[in-house]
Amino acid sequence: MSRLRPGETCRVDFSRPLEFSFLGREMTGYAGDTVASALYGAGVRIFGRSLKYHRPRGLYSMEGESANTFMSIDGVPNECAETTELRAGMAIEPQNVRGDPGRDRFGFLDAFDRLMPAGFYYHLFHRPYALWPLFQSGLRRMAGTGVLDPGAEYRNGVRTERYLNADVAVIGGGPAGMAAALAAGESGLRVCLFERRGRLGGQMTWRVRDFEGEPLYRRAGALAARVRAAENVNVFTRSPVTGVWGENLVTGFAVGTEDDPFRECHWECRATTVVVAAGCMDRPLVFNHNDRPGVMQVGTAWRLARTYGVRPGKSVAFSVADDLGLEAAIDLDDMGVRIRFIADARESGQQGPEVFDALCDRAIPFFPGCAVSRAVGRKRVRGCVLRSLKGGRSRRFRCDLLVANAGMQPRIGILATAKARLAYCTHTHGYQPTELPPGVFVAGSMTGLRDPRSIEASGRVAGYGVAEWCGGRLKSVAGARAPAREAEALPGPGAGCGIIHAPAIGRGAKAFVDLDEDGTYKNVKESIARGLDVPELAKRFAGFGLGPGQYRVAGQNLAMIMADLRGDPVETAHPTTVRPPLGAPSLATLAGPGHDVHKRTPLHSELAGRGAVFRRAGAWQRARHFGDDPSCRDEIRNVRTNVGVLDSSPLGKFRIHGPDALNALQRVYMSDMSKARPGRCKYSAMCNDMGQLMDDGVVVAEGPGDYYFTTSSARAGDTVEWFRFHTRHDDWDYNLVNLTDVLGSLNIAGPNARRVLERLTRDNVSNQAFPYLACRRITVGDGVEARCLRLGFVGELSFELHAPASYVPYLWDLVMEAGADFGIRPFGLEAQNCLRAEKGHVIIGMESEQRVTLTDIGMGWMWDREDTVSKKVGAPALRACDRQPGRLNLVGLRVEEGAKAPRDGTLVVDGDKIVGYVCTTRSSDTLGWQYGLALVHREHAFPGRRIHLCHEEAPGQRVTSTAFVMSPHFYDPRGERLRS
Amino acid sequence: MTFRLTCPVCGKRDVYEFTFGGQERGPRPEQDGLSAEEHFRWTQFRLIPNEPQEEWWYHGQGCGVWFRTTRDPGTNREVR
Repeated sequence: MSRLRPGETCRVDFSRPLEFSFLGREMTGYAGDTVASALYGAGVRIFGRSLKYHRPRGLYSMEGESANTFMSIDGVPNECAETTELRAGMAIEPQNVRGDPGRDRFGFLDAFDRLMPAGFYYHLFHRPYALWPLFQSGLRRMAGTGVLDPGAEYRNGVRTERYLNADVAVIGGGPAGMAAALAAGESGLRVCLFERRGRLGGQMTWRVRDFEGEPLYRRAGALAARVRAAENVNVFTRSPVTGVWGENLVTGFAVGTEDDPFRECHWECRATTVVVAAGCMDRPLVFNHNDRPGVMQVGTAWRLARTYGVRPGKSVAFSVADDLGLEAAIDLDDMGVRIRFIADARESGQQGPEVFDALCDRAIPFFPGCAVSRAVGRKRVRGCVLRSLKGGRSRRFRCDLLVANAGMQPRIGILATAKARLAYCTHTHGYQPTELPPGVFVAGSMTGLRDPRSIEASGRVAGYGVAEWCGGRLKSVAGARAPAREAEALPGPGAGCGIIHAPAIGRGAKAFVDLDEDGTYKNVKESIARGLDVPELAKRFAGFGLGPGQYRVAGQNLAMIMADLRGDPVETAHPTTVRPPLGAPSLATLAGPGHDVHKRTPLHSELAGRGAVFRRAGAWQRARHFGDDPSCRDEIRNVRTNVGVLDSSPLGKFRIHGPDALNALQRVYMSDMSKARPGRCKYSAMCNDMGQLMDDGVVVAEGPGDYYFTTSSARAGDTVEWFRFHTRHDDWDYNLVNLTDVLGSLNIAGPNARRVLERLTRDNVSNQAFPYLACRRITVGDGVEARCLRLGFVGELSFELHAPASYVPYLWDLVMEAGADFGIRPFGLEAQNCLRAEKGHVIIGMESEQRVTLTDIGMGWMWDREDTVSKKVGAPALRACDRQPGRLNLVGLRVEEGAKAPRDGTLVVDGDKIVGYVCTTRSSDTLGWQYGLALVHREHAFPGRRIHLCHEEAPGQRVTSTAFVMSPHFYDPRGERLRS
Repeated sequence: MTFRLTCPVCGKRDVYEFTFGGQERGPRPEQDGLSAEEHFRWTQFRLIPNEPQEEWWYHGQGCGVWFRTTRDPGTNREVR
């Protein structure tokens, strides 16, 4: 198909053809085309089928305002063909279509519209109720848009995010937005300018009308060049705004081109002020069969010709309601497109003199006070019926394209999300802000201005207004006042056309108010008849504005039509709430870049070299086990009988010092922390205000008012916040330093641990010099000083070495070398978990939960009950539930020989009652039987008690087995091995 | 929902950087003779007024300070 050569306004490069396919048919477009313009240029007229009635739909808007042209592109559904730029090799499929969109199998549904009145989904097909699931699945199959493939990968391309800060966010890169950005930039403010199209200039980029001696597109081009050159104006094109939020946070996304390092980028701009210059869009004219392929908005036909060089039709009828529509018709005529007639909903005399003169110069039939009342033709427009708005005679014309609108309406979505108060203006016949939130300014054609000078001046006024608001460095006060005076002298907002719908509406034909949801004029009447007589209710009931168009196309018309049908004045009409996102970023973009942000221990590569299987544990990647045995039998046996080494670097490590350090420790720890001594580890725990166990660790005094302490890995990140929060009223003088990432640690555990350590250091580490729970500073290898803590979490003789993270790989090498003769091997978190459970040591979150307190899990011994002075966090709660009946207690279980093995989480039952659950259970080689740690009600929590475990094999199919309660300290209950 | 808070150390920052620490409810009560009911009243009971209230916020993604500010939960804005 031949294309027009529109000259300088053209964005398409005809020297660069791009091959793509539609429904498997090869087609050619050009670089610079959107998918929609390429398809239209290749002769495609039916783009898809409508949601409910499966009516054929064509290209209606050019800015992604209707869902008619949503396509599946390269397998990704619901891509907006109108705004997606064409790339070579795209495979494009229409949606909601069985087969070719011209011969859709469900096309017959259009004749059954009586079965689908407004809100039918809520009140039809529900009786008899048993049949509803059948109807529902049928309806869902026939209606809808794109289809997701559960197996497909949609996170293609790089998705990034960006956080911006600006004094001014200008939304809209048309002449007003550019003028505002320049004025604000000249005042010394940092400006971000967001434009959703690929090019600055807005509507002026395709208008060729001469204005003050040059065509408008050149005027816009010159302004754009100044904006691009301005130092503190940051321009973002292809960046639709999704909403404006509290305190002027502007969010949106940028669509990447081939030169960008991303496919799509989510951005958020925290701006002191916002200038909204979003411009206008066509207000659809509601008439009979206004959805036929071949009916389109003024801007669509105009841009097809001017921007993309596509001939929109051979014989074009125009039904418009403002001067811009007339200008478009005249321009198309100049380009050699045959204009059948132009109807203007306004009476004669309301047209601007210049366009009227231009119109008179041409031999185009002109009908003021008339509008198109019906499109003729089923799968394609073949003609139309023109009618006078005063009633009276109608006349039929042949045409293959019908360009219709009811004038322009401001794009108020951004103002609405910014919570501006809007009201219908009877002069411009659009919604105008009556009250703006602090720091929000409006400029440009959305205020009703039509004269290019006025539009630019309004931008300058907004720009200097913003500068005044921000206290920018204005050159002079007079300089700021000048644009306001200048703007006052220019033409103000033009009068709009208040036409609500075309004449003779709804007589035996569908007239669509909302194309996306197949909402007709008749549906509005049905909705009102059922008492749902305001837009917000009709929206929920009949779906107006619920579709991808979200308010944009249906909004103003729906409100006006409802007010008209109710017999109320049109200015009482209020549109439905506009909800973000205003543009549609892909879910993959919102999901984020998807990279896993984690910490690695200093020994990560050493562990990986030994076959570690890593799992995420909190912020860290940690070695779960080594080799392919997830039950870790060999690792466990090696620790019990020989010696193993664990990378425990994620352990929380802190220093607290200052005159009030002890007070702070007393506040958060349950024990009497004044008993913490130099060279000795004091084990204690923290509770929250409900007495629940939050954390445990050891504290070592290192000097007067100076302590070193450890926390569990999971709590390391919260500890500073916790200390500071619980001492926030006390004005205490202490410093808390998080050393977790600074220090790495290694745990050498097993009967041979001391013999390995002796080879590393000359310090005396004998049982007398270095007893259980001692803490020493020892020198290892070539003079690395390490804190060495003799602890026993895994129930064996063990030494924990804490040293600066950069030295830890060196220590690791030393340990592995020294232990080689013994057959030392690393063990992972799973082995540690089994080892500590055999010993009956709890892990917070595994054997403790919201319902249990410190005393419930058998750690009440550490609580200093006498201390009321330091106001320990959790002490009052522990006191209150000390003797409370019905509490859960931690017990050990020995599962009966040969009985079914429980799993972590298996329920403990007493008859029909649940009386607890198994927290951790393993089959132990060390013990020779299956043990478990369980939380059970106090009345069952005594040694020797026989309890029942309930296994659910399949839903409803339960099997019970028996276990005996015992002390949780299964292994080495007297702690001889720890002290050996 | 998005707003900004004024950290006494770092100045105005996005709310993303902060952790909420609840309403100001006075210092931790003396524990001598503290009844369970009084304790739970202090830890659990909150009024939800539609007017500015004093609150604690923690600048966890910044300087790590706990501070008090007066904020109107109806508008999410700090009140000065």
